[in-house]
Amino acid sequence: MLFDTNVHLGSWPFTLVPDLSATRLASHLRAHGIRRAVVSATAAILAPDPLPANRALLAAVRHIPALLPVPVVNPALANWREQLDIAEAGPLRAIKLFPNYHNYRLDSARFDPFFSEVKSRRLRLLISVRVEDERHRYFALRIKSVPAKTLISFLRRNPLLHPLVLGIGLPDLRVVAKKCENFSTDTSFVEWLGSLEDLTQVLPVRRILFGSHTPFFVTRASVAKLAATPLPARTAAAIGSGNAGRFFSL
Amino acid sequence: MRAIDIHTHPVFHHAGFTRPAVESFAAQARAQGVERMVSLGDVLAFGPLPTDAQIRHINNETARIMRWLPDTFIGFCALNPRLGERHVMGEMERCVGGLGFRGIKLEISNNARDACMKPVMRAAERWDVPLLQHTWSMTNIHMRHMHSDPEDTAALARRHPNVQVIMAHLTGCGYRGVLEAKGVDNLVVDTSGGFPENGILDYALEHLGADHIVYGSDLPIRETSVTLNRILGTPMSADERAKILYGNTRRILKL
Repeated sequence: MLFDTNVHLGSWPFTLVPDLSATRLASHLRAHGIRRAVVSATAAILAPDPLPANRALLAAVRHIPALLPVPVVNPALANWREQLDIAEAGPLRAIKLFPNYHNYRLDSARFDPFFSEVKSRRLRLLISVRVEDERHRYFALRIKSVPAKTLISFLRRNPLLHPLVLGIGLPDLRVVAKKCENFSTDTSFVEWLGSLEDLTQVLPVRRILFGSHTPFFVTRASVAKLAATPLPARTAAAIGSGNAGRFFSL
Repeated sequence: MRAIDIHTHPVFHHAGFTRPAVESFAAQARAQGVERMVSLGDVLAFGPLPTDAQIRHINNETARIMRWLPDTFIGFCALNPRLGERHVMGEMERCVGGLGFRGIKLEISNNARDACMKPVMRAAERWDVPLLQHTWSMTNIHMRHMHSDPEDTAALARRHPNVQVIMAHLTGCGYRGVLEAKGVDNLVVDTSGGFPENGILDYALEHLGADHIVYGSDLPIRETSVTLNRILGTPMSADERAKILYGNTRRILKL
């Protein structure tokens, strides 16, 4: 059974993907062999303050143990301490950042107090560098993915943090992996003939975690990438669930 | 499940042109259920405007791959329409007439609406072969003088109703592209290009119908497991799935 580190709950205004309830999302994931999933609220990505969407997410999944909520935090807002408080109430003690959607530079000195607080509260950090393929998304959404050089600068600035970087592609991963070791990544946006075999050449297996990017991506397609890999079964199992269990201490 | 992949590049940016590499490329697709693959050639190996000699090189590689694995690979003839009628007709005579290629592949030498397309379409009609046109939404990519938007490829198909046109890259064409392709009888859209985004294939099924969608992967930029399971993971009837994965392409290529 899989542990999915990259799942979203809610609708997205730029696609026609149906909005699933938390119960239906859990059942959909289970049908694809996903036993546990780290879920964030899509509404929190575009909202002026992510707190209401985070609270709604926590309420929606309260009785669904398969869905592990992770609040989206916007450190550029003055209420970031209050935003962090909600993370401590969740089962994962983790937060998720969308720097490009929230209009800040991850490596800015302005956020040193924020990341210092994240570290002192022992919160796990998830950083989404990309939600959609920039080439053909809605024309008015001119947000770029978090650049590899910003990620490198951030990781060097915070050597004691070890974030899970979500949505990064293989070309950027090669660049970042040459410079930094204090991060893990998910599999959602890594695609090429032999993706996972290539990925294991770039990063140690223990730093590769399965992510389906449901419902933005077709879940079965993301799962198939792992199911069809010629990597040894033990390696596939580590990517599919073991590494995530260790990352989140579950 | 039987599948034909209408969109592959066994050689890509000069990589992969050895018999073991091509056999490995074919084996990984066969392991997933893909019986045959259309080889579109290393179409960007020399940039967007290949010369006549470079086009011949690309097509010679495709011909050799077809000879290595004749039961797997079907060749499409790469052309640069900007080189004019003599180039187009000469290469078509050589590749379709002589080497057994079964279609035409156009990349980004020009826009599909350009006048230089006329000899290409005449050639497609004369040899009765389909034409696969690289297509992507140009809303965010401002290179329409050389790339084709779905609007351009649909216009090309409308102007030439006797030629079967394949609009590449369903994901890159997006929802707007599906609507451009709607109602054009001689146009099908291939499912290649981009990540396995949810919703677009469902939308294409609703608006174009299964008869106007064909399976394509864009290997090696993509994975067969992902591209196939994107289709298997989208709700549709068994009949619709069989058409998309196999039946439509078999009909178009007269296999």
